[in-house]
Amino acid sequence: MAVDKVIEIPVSLEVPIGPQHPALHEPVMLKVYAEGEEVVKVEVNTGYNHRGIEKLVEKNSFYRNIFIVSRVCGICNIVHSNAYVRAVEQVMGIEPPGRAKYLRVLAMELERIHSHMIINAIMAEVLGYDTLFMYIMRDREKVMKAKEILTGNRVLGDYLMVGGVRRDLSEVDRERIKDVLIKLEPEVRKYIRVFEEDETIGKRLRGVGVVKPKDVTLHGLVGPTARGSGVNIDARREGYDAYGEVPFNIIVRSDMDSWSRMMVRWHETIESINMCKYVLENLPSDGPAVPDETKLPRKFPVGEAFTRVEAPRGELTYYVMSDGRQNPWRVKIRTPSFNNIINSGFSYIGYTIADVPVILTSYDPCISCMERAIVTDLRRGEKKYVRFKDLNRGLK
Amino acid sequence: MGKPSLLKEVLKWFIGRPVTIQYPYEETPIENRFRGRHFADLNKCTGCSLCAIECPADAITMEKLPEEVSVPKNPRRIYPVISYGKCVYCYRCVTVCPFDAYITTNDYKITGPARLYSRDYSLQSVGGGAQ
Ligand code: SF4
Ligand code: SF4
Repeated sequence: MAVDKVIEIPVSLEVPIGPQHPALHEPVMLKVYAEGEEVVKVEVNTGYNHRGIEKLVEKNSFYRNIFIVSRVCGICNIVHSNAYVRAVEQVMGIEPPGRAKYLRVLAMELERIHSHMIINAIMAEVLGYDTLFMYIMRDREKVMKAKEILTGNRVLGDYLMVGGVRRDLSEVDRERIKDVLIKLEPEVRKYIRVFEEDETIGKRLRGVGVVKPKDVTLHGLVGPTARGSGVNIDARREGYDAYGEVPFNIIVRSDMDSWSRMMVRWHETIESINMCKYVLENLPSDGPAVPDETKLPRKFPVGEAFTRVEAPRGELTYYVMSDGRQNPWRVKIRTPSFNNIINSGFSYIGYTIADVPVILTSYDPCISCMERAIVTDLRRGEKKYVRFKDLNRGLK
Repeated sequence: MGKPSLLKEVLKWFIGRPVTIQYPYEETPIENRFRGRHFADLNKCTGCSLCAIECPADAITMEKLPEEVSVPKNPRRIYPVISYGKCVYCYRCVTVCPFDAYITTNDYKITGPARLYSRDYSLQSVGGGAQ
């Protein structure tokens, strides 16, 4: 019998990307289902790096926690301590002087500059453009130096304290930081040109990972991811610390693709450089920026506070509840990557497997700061948080 | 789309000095106020244990002073010993000490098995400890 029909069975392939180094050094696994080269479904699996920080914070005193929440994220440590410190200040009814507020803004904006530079460098590396990666990282080191001058460490600033900041800025250091920023700006502009004009970058980023404004609001995406899709949200608009006094523009682009998100970050870097310059030139001297830590109150009133800051990756929120004892009763942290990564599975569909790392990198994931353990009781449809100790014993 | 101007930069750095620092043959430039190795000056410390209570990393343990060491004002004869492996260099202990007893340095070279604790540094401040 001659063959007159061939039956083709469509095979969908499951490709695990991660959890070791999916695109950048973050422990996240994307379970990609592909038909041929085309991605048809993506599951975002997390939970490889749960550290139980929220529980740890409940076991430590209010002041010790400032340093513990700084360790939630390595890159954006000052925004974490800022959100927490402002929440504690609200509970205690303390208002820091203007100089301290300006210095906080300076530290946070320096952090934004180096965070945006590192993700753009990593994007260059993911695209295979290692030369550009090296150049951006070289110039990022200048910002790290500025941060070291200001806070005393290039990465972990530990710069904030209830009622102010932990070290003041001298005239000499002020000039040195300004010098760093003046030298940095032309370099950043050069990289913007490379990202705009380079053919390889354009081909790999433009039109890849399109997120429509409707998807942004539907999935609750925040930060440069939302602003790259034309959604104008920025927590800095609230005017916390000195953001109400420092002029800045909110960068919004409407290309909606990975390239657009990276360009939002580059232009925000320029904005941040200008904000830092403004802060350095208009630093008020209305009071001691550094509180005497030995004299801070030891009693904490009953109360609760909810604060939000614009971290480099988007809106970060803290909820702090005090029941009048030495330790907070509850601290709830919601990091921007929690929204941006877990909800982003939809945006990979229709692109090729080679585009997956690019799209993931364009969301600037920070997995370590978003890991949570939630147990969902399927029978009753309840969700509850458990401690790791109890997890070992097994769930009831 | 035109070609980027990165080529010029690449050529420039072919002949320029490398940016990379050849550590440990070359010193990394470090700020004077960098938060590095620190230890308690036993001339000032009163053994109040506040630093050990406030340390967020639980890196400080209060230890008994050796018999032969004489200290000016420490009735309980205990002093803080920092484990540099545990310490996160936040300097909370430095700022919270009511007697300003901590000596701070910008020494960042703390890896290696020798001197993992601040014991000898502190004892040397009153003429004791291993040299
Ligand atoms: S807080 Fe100061 S005085 Fe008290 S034990 Fe520590 S170093 Fe000594
Ligand atoms: S610097 Fe911080 S972590 Fe280190 S001993 Fe002092 S309080 Fe503890």
